[in-house]
Amino acid sequence: MSGTITWARVKSPWVLHFNSGACNGCDIEIVALLTPKYDVERFGVKLEPSPRHADVLLVTGCVTQQCAERLKRVYDQMPQPKFVVAIGACACSGGVFAGNYNVVGGVDKVIPVTAYIPGCPPRPEAILDGVVKLLNALSPPKPKKLPKQAKQPVMPAQDAKAEVAKQAAETPQEVKPIVEEAKPDVKQ
Amino acid sequence: MIDFDLILRILIFPGFTFILLLTLFCDWVERKIDARLQNRVGPMVAGPGGLFQPLADFVKLLTKEDIEPRNVKKVIFNFAPLIAFTIMVFAICFLPIDGASVLSTTGFNGDLIVILTFSTIASFLLFLSGWASCNPYSTIGSARVLTQFLGYDIPIFMLALTPAFIAGSLSIFAIASAQTIPYILLAPYAFVLFMIAMQAELEKGPFDVPDAESEVVGGLETEYTGAKLAFLHLTRDVQVVFGAALVVELFLGGPHGPVFFGLPAFWYSL
Amino acid sequence: MRRQNQTSNSKIDIVNVIENKLKDRVQVQLGQLGKAAIITNNGLHRNVLKAMVDADEKTAITAITGLDLGTNLGVLYHIRTSNGFFTIRAEVPKDNPKIKTVTDIIPGAVFHELEVSDLFGVVFEGNELQGHFVLSEYWPEGIYPLRKDVKASEIKLNPQPQEEKQPEAGRVVKIIIGPQHPALLEPEKFAVTVDGETVTKVEPRIGYVHRGIEKAAESRTYLQDVYLVERICGICNTIHACDFVECVEKILKTEVPPRAKYLRVIALELNRLHSHLLTLGHAGLEIGYETLFQYFWRDREPIMNLIELTSGNRVYSSLMTVGGVRRDLRDSDIPTIKTTLVDLRKKLPFYRQIYENEPSIRARMQNVGMLKREDALKLCVVGPVARGSGVNIDVRKDEPYEAYGEIPFKEIVYTEGDTWARMNVRMDEVEESINIIEYAIDHLPTGPFRVKAPRVVPVGEAVNRVEAPRGELFCYVKSNGTAFPERVKVRTPTYANIPAFLKTAIGENIADIPPNFVSLDPCFSCTDR
Repeated sequence: MSGTITWARVKSPWVLHFNSGACNGCDIEIVALLTPKYDVERFGVKLEPSPRHADVLLVTGCVTQQCAERLKRVYDQMPQPKFVVAIGACACSGGVFAGNYNVVGGVDKVIPVTAYIPGCPPRPEAILDGVVKLLNALSPPKPKKLPKQAKQPVMPAQDAKAEVAKQAAETPQEVKPIVEEAKPDVKQ
Repeated sequence: MIDFDLILRILIFPGFTFILLLTLFCDWVERKIDARLQNRVGPMVAGPGGLFQPLADFVKLLTKEDIEPRNVKKVIFNFAPLIAFTIMVFAICFLPIDGASVLSTTGFNGDLIVILTFSTIASFLLFLSGWASCNPYSTIGSARVLTQFLGYDIPIFMLALTPAFIAGSLSIFAIASAQTIPYILLAPYAFVLFMIAMQAELEKGPFDVPDAESEVVGGLETEYTGAKLAFLHLTRDVQVVFGAALVVELFLGGPHGPVFFGLPAFWYSL
Repeated sequence: MRRQNQTSNSKIDIVNVIENKLKDRVQVQLGQLGKAAIITNNGLHRNVLKAMVDADEKTAITAITGLDLGTNLGVLYHIRTSNGFFTIRAEVPKDNPKIKTVTDIIPGAVFHELEVSDLFGVVFEGNELQGHFVLSEYWPEGIYPLRKDVKASEIKLNPQPQEEKQPEAGRVVKIIIGPQHPALLEPEKFAVTVDGETVTKVEPRIGYVHRGIEKAAESRTYLQDVYLVERICGICNTIHACDFVECVEKILKTEVPPRAKYLRVIALELNRLHSHLLTLGHAGLEIGYETLFQYFWRDREPIMNLIELTSGNRVYSSLMTVGGVRRDLRDSDIPTIKTTLVDLRKKLPFYRQIYENEPSIRARMQNVGMLKREDALKLCVVGPVARGSGVNIDVRKDEPYEAYGEIPFKEIVYTEGDTWARMNVRMDEVEESINIIEYAIDHLPTGPFRVKAPRVVPVGEAVNRVEAPRGELFCYVKSNGTAFPERVKVRTPTYANIPAFLKTAIGENIADIPPNFVSLDPCFSCTDR
């Protein structure tokens, strides 16, 4: 039963796009995904208007102070199971705008992020690749059967004991740690 | 004594399972045609040619967390989608699909009016479900739904009476059986007008104002998640199947007619 | 009704008018900051502005720049007239930063004054700022970020947000559009007050995309600033970069080689093409016509391929640099460019015919969002919004920059003033852009595409205007002799056009708001910077 549920979730990810202070470059590439050249609907991805309907939240933009609270609210409105994809260099870490007075910098400072797609802006193919990788991570592939290995030589038991004793004699018993204690950071 | 045959008819064909599968199939057809018109391909990954995409959507929605906002009117919010869906399926059960309908072999006089009333009640429940959401977008969306279906309900009733007049009976069975010549040829204007009115009732383009995403976000579905949303979507799709089936019964000769069932469904998908 | 090639009314000499009316009370410096800079004392800026408005109906405020001059705060009013571009300088002391407002003379100055109030702390008597305009509600009181003594890392946010106004009870319903909304690509909030289905008031709340670019530009070198300024907007990025770079070149007094000028024109027009196709498609999405959206964006993809061909990146071409362009156009690319443009030109009659004849488009766009010519002039709108209402302003024609003076093209003006007219302006501009690119390629001069420019810019200041796809884009750069600029001010076209939207939305249905909104081609990342 859980296989069917996972199959359904993987085949039908509904996305919600939220711009938390972006320059529009990433947003245009996301909208370009719907167009005939890239056609993300092949994967069952639908762009939803309301956070209550969506599974995946695509966030673009370095998070500005005003958008931080709204982003959190939109994230809370989404029902479980939900995933967040940070698209663009700004969403990953703040990008060119990190350190500015109105910028929080990076989506993961506000909500937990599942996947990061770097780029300024990432090409639509890169966004598609990231979304597909996210979906594949949800349904992990079955472990492959390991190929047959050649027979390894097995050591007889009394030889193993002698080997262990010999190794114990060679290594020094007490090893003093050479690690210094970390000095506490002096705050400016 | 348990009537296994009846149970089989209700559950499998032409009952619940068949209606559900047909609804999902119609949804798939609609998405593929939409995509083709827009120079795209449409769903491809879920199943061969994307055939199981609506099924994947449905199952996924059923397994989502169910969120109930604090300010909604709880009873209506929780039960309206499910009741609307049930009523629509119940209405389809009265239509003769393979010679005899699901529930009875001959129907009863006046069941045309009954199923049209069921359809109205279902639309009204859809409106109520949006109204109970206490969200300004849902309010506007559901107000539009109400305006639209109230406006077109009366024409549908009157146009559905045309085949009844020609056949001389209000029973669907009688209307379907009386069509030695399909009524589409005897009453072509009524057929065309009925199709148009049905299109408006089903909120398909060019009457899809309540669904205008750009103004009212999700419309009446905005606050719904999970299973309730699945049933709202399904109710909408089942209404399409209902409309198609009704057209076949009234104008195209029903199970005795020459035209197969899927053609109006195809039309409404457009 | 189209009027083409309106020559600007340059018979009025503004400098003469001012010198006659105000004689010795103001000081006029010719050739500074535009055609002339007029230095005034407190209060006289209103007289100068009134004289300009009375003399020329096309006088409009382009921007109001705030400056931190140590003990004083400078306020620069940048005015465009049909006789040229002027700047009025005024100064107020920091401990009493009060200056009289000009919104009664030119109503389009409201947003500009509010921004200077928010970021610098200047109080405009008659147009006081309530709460915050561009900054967030968590911003602490009394700290003005663009002043020199404020460092970004030291600002502590107020955990308690300021009170937002509550909606009034009654029949009117206040709908909030945004910040997350399927119609809008970007976050911004419009509180729309409706009575039934008719809109009575629209209150905007911008600043969701405010990233503090102007402050950040002061701590980066000029070359780094090119990349920063480019990222103000992803759609019109090349033009932002070109504006900034031209401004710096004006201070440096560097002459760009002719080949670079033509290459810049090609890059700018490609940017305009993709931007207009984007808007035309987006309009289709707003009115529910999704197929049109898909078709336009499908035809936009070859243009993105061209941008990638000429510069290496689909969106951020980063072609502009101080002294020229970074990459040359290869001769082997020219046939590809030409064939793509020929294909696009063949598709235009199909789209034109849709816009002319399709009843759903006509019904949803005609007579929606009417902006009369007088209102357009008073509210200082720019770009296709102005040209759709009969106001013929186009920086490429009024003050030709780069190679635009040598390339013949038509200025597109429609007089209807509704949404449909504005979209038609954009459609025709697509064709004009194709013509310009083809002419530029055919007449590409040989020679270097870049000259080396010094990294340290001498003391000076300059203003520059270019025509972005959305309208007039303005940049002011002040340098203090170091490798970092002292002040960079950018005024984007959407910022000037939003007051027009607020006015045209009143009296319409809610359903008309999305097409109306899209027709002014909003770009909020441009607006908020």
